[in-house]
Amino acid sequence: MTKSTRAALTRRSLLAGASAGLIATRAWAQQPSEVKVGLLVPVSGLYARPGTVMREGAEMAVDHINAQGGIKALGGARMKLIVLDSGDTTEKAKNAAQRMVAQETDLVAASGAYLSSFTLAVTEVTERANLPVLTLSYSDLITDRGFKYVFQTSATAGSQAKQALPQIVKLAETASGRRPKTVAIVTDNTAASVSSAKAMRDGLLAENGLQLTVDETFTPPLADATSLVQKVRSAKPDLLFFLPTVISDAKLLLEKMNEFGLGQGKIPTISFGIAIAEPDMLQTVSPELLQGLLTCVASWGAKGHEALIAELKTRYKEPWMTQNAISTYGDMWVIKDALEKAGKADRVAVGEALRTMDAGPSKYYPLGEIKFDEKGRRVGAGMTIVQWQSGVPVTVFPPQLALAQPFWPKN
Amino acid sequence: MTMRGWRSLLPILVFTALYAVVSLSVTNSYYQLVMTLVPVWAIFGLSWNLLSGYTGLISFGHAAFFGLGAYAVALGQIHFDLSPWVTIPIAAVIGGVAGLLIGFPTFRLQGHYFALAMLAYPLAILYVFEWLGLQEVTLPIKRDNPIAYMQFADHRFYTLVALAMMLGTILLTRKVEQSRFGMALLAIKQNEAAAEAAGINTLAWKLRAVTLSGAIAGAVGGFYAVVLLVVTPQSVFGMLVSAQALTVAMFGGVGTVWGPVIGSVILIPLAETLNAEAGSRFPGIQGVIYGLAIISVILLAPEGLFWKVRDFLRKRSAPPVLAKPDAPDVPVASVAAAPARPKRSPGTGDVVLEVRNLSRSFGGLKAVQDVSFKLRQNEILGIIGPNGAGKTTLFNLLNGFLRPGTGEILLDGREMSGRKPHELCEAGIGRTFQIMRPFLRMSISDNVVVGAYVRARTDAEAKQLATDAIARVGLSGIADRIAGELTTKELRLMELARALAGQPRILLLDETLAGLGHDEANEVVAVIQRLARDGMTIAIIEHTMQAMVRLVDSFLVLDHGAVIVEGEPEAVTRDSRVIEAYLGKKWVAHAPH
Repeated sequence: MTKSTRAALTRRSLLAGASAGLIATRAWAQQPSEVKVGLLVPVSGLYARPGTVMREGAEMAVDHINAQGGIKALGGARMKLIVLDSGDTTEKAKNAAQRMVAQETDLVAASGAYLSSFTLAVTEVTERANLPVLTLSYSDLITDRGFKYVFQTSATAGSQAKQALPQIVKLAETASGRRPKTVAIVTDNTAASVSSAKAMRDGLLAENGLQLTVDETFTPPLADATSLVQKVRSAKPDLLFFLPTVISDAKLLLEKMNEFGLGQGKIPTISFGIAIAEPDMLQTVSPELLQGLLTCVASWGAKGHEALIAELKTRYKEPWMTQNAISTYGDMWVIKDALEKAGKADRVAVGEALRTMDAGPSKYYPLGEIKFDEKGRRVGAGMTIVQWQSGVPVTVFPPQLALAQPFWPKN
Repeated sequence: MTMRGWRSLLPILVFTALYAVVSLSVTNSYYQLVMTLVPVWAIFGLSWNLLSGYTGLISFGHAAFFGLGAYAVALGQIHFDLSPWVTIPIAAVIGGVAGLLIGFPTFRLQGHYFALAMLAYPLAILYVFEWLGLQEVTLPIKRDNPIAYMQFADHRFYTLVALAMMLGTILLTRKVEQSRFGMALLAIKQNEAAAEAAGINTLAWKLRAVTLSGAIAGAVGGFYAVVLLVVTPQSVFGMLVSAQALTVAMFGGVGTVWGPVIGSVILIPLAETLNAEAGSRFPGIQGVIYGLAIISVILLAPEGLFWKVRDFLRKRSAPPVLAKPDAPDVPVASVAAAPARPKRSPGTGDVVLEVRNLSRSFGGLKAVQDVSFKLRQNEILGIIGPNGAGKTTLFNLLNGFLRPGTGEILLDGREMSGRKPHELCEAGIGRTFQIMRPFLRMSISDNVVVGAYVRARTDAEAKQLATDAIARVGLSGIADRIAGELTTKELRLMELARALAGQPRILLLDETLAGLGHDEANEVVAVIQRLARDGMTIAIIEHTMQAMVRLVDSFLVLDHGAVIVEGEPEAVTRDSRVIEAYLGKKWVAHAPH
């Protein structure tokens, strides 16, 4: 190639660049160069750890969205994440929400706020400010208030238990060749655990042909798990549903089970919620004690998320992708879709888009579609069952999302 | 109300008006929320202050009342569709009743034990609410008729409602502070035993205080539910809620209406600003700064900002007075010349107080055994004996601090043993203490007024009785001085006046001359002599006989809890058993017979 042609090409490309720039400038003048999305989660206090993981998920999503050209309907506007600390009390969460709507007036949507009591308080504020909020909190109450601007991406607590129980029974039956008949429930009295346990007691167990032989509720933190474990041992149930929220409670009970010779699968143990599969578990409980333990969660890093899980590992040193990371990652994409549909950076329009959107099968939340019913609940929202296998909690159910085959702890 | 009352009201009204103007000018809804939370926590601090600030009984459990109020409002709207306008007054009633129910058993405890017991109530109730399945309740949104359900679109209305509640609470607190109610609480705080001995029914006043305090906490808890819209056990019964009341009150100043208001005005916006500015950048730093701020204020101003600033201003406005000797109220010259009271033969006059076979043991120690004596109208009885003879125990039995083991105490022929101190005070037995029990932060007048309430029906009457009593002991010239600045003699006289203000029929004086120099003792003796001349019946304990011989009509000598001699001074001082008890056996031989 000669020198002159190279120069001509350069000149041409320069011209092209300039005109592209002009078009872009015109587009920028019509549309905001930036669209602000809120993330209201606890990044200080007792719940800072899960809140931080949520932020990591959101940051990854925003980077991916921007890397792929931002919001196309807004002329490629970049998404910008505004993180607000909800603190560790309901009052702090509510105040933070008020601060969010008062001072970040150009937010188009938000995600938050981890604990369901925080989400309840936060959405009281955002509802009145017409700010759409996506949440992974799964208390039924959140979407039972007739609110228009709250969208629940997880299956509600009641629905999760309903979905999980038949799967657990089927799993037990195929793995051990014997259908479980008796169950024990040991639960703490926090809001999420109570609603899951209540759903089981109020008919779900009976529907699945299970008989409740031990039913114990405790107040965290446990000082001693001996009496609880003794009751379980004397009843010898086929399954134990164990619903802790505090990691130290999980540790106490699991170690006591082991001490009494019930651990490591002697009595298959199933949990609800994320507590028992948090990375922090490994700091206090040995992987052997956790091996085979199952937990039913609203969402988890699953098949199709391998690249994300790897990125989370290298970028943030997280050992695996919990519900907090993957759900919040998904929230940002849903907000992006809603912005594309709304075609303008306006919270009311985004709210309307979320209510009416039908974006097909869900990629980041388990099963169902990216579509919300009149209450704001995601249509067909599924859930995942996660099993501790060799020191890592991996998704084993539903089959289409499973990263590993479930195994039933051997007697 | 008096001119002075109006003038002291002015700062409160000005503050409230200014606050209202500022809050109306705020347009940012977040700042509006903070403006609402300031009076909310100030009211809660005031509620705590009404009990703990004035009585000194620290409550770590005010969240109990607060939470009950919050749940009353939330559940009232959820289940019965009741508006908070209706349920907040109901919440006040619930809080008040809870206060009464909690106070009644818990006031048996004192000091740390009371504080710890109070801590248990909200924590226990928290678990009850969790057990009831009320982990999360929300006040239903009312889109049609929001105002009727206290759901304002404009946040400034919340601030105005909160401000009105705060003004009401401040006025109520001031009303309490300036009445015999407040005086009784302050007396309890400074010295519960002395208050009881001065005729204050301490349990009744404490119950009134906790009821009122609980009612205020219940009302503000109810309002808090309206502001927060979500009620969880942790957010209304949690430790942090109880701590919030203590924090704002102790930061601002305990025992004054301004304290919780100042604390709240500074701390709530500070905490919010820290959360807003530092929270998302350096998560957690806000708690550290907030904690350090509180610690440094508590270290620099242990009684709270209000008192620190007030003391500072007083010091500046009033340059220290040169220590000038106080002119004696009772001219010394007149003491020596005080005419001796005509001696009356014992055994005449009506019997006012009769003690029959009174005994009391502490384990194996028989502190008072089988003591009997009669006290007649206008008699001065000296009760003497060596240290540990049981003199003060005898007084404690007579005024109700201790219950007799056996025996009878007859006042005008009526059996009084085992009654409470304030009942005995009301019946006409006044006393002073060997170890003085002044209310150190109160002026002489206020100290004495406390003693007058037992007799007075109105505050004005109490003032009059106090003024008279102060005049009788000769302290009129310094009646406005704070008890903490007085000399031992003045304190002795003030205690005497406090006992006199209740117009007792019998005065029990416990070592009134102890710790006084010779001249000072003479002055006090002169005062007692004048009282006797005016018809008072007196029993006086002393272990030095010198001053007593001139004063008393008869002696009762105790040793090892029992009466060893009873009779006229001259005879008693020569009695060999008395000399033996005081000096030991070998001195009996040397005694003049």
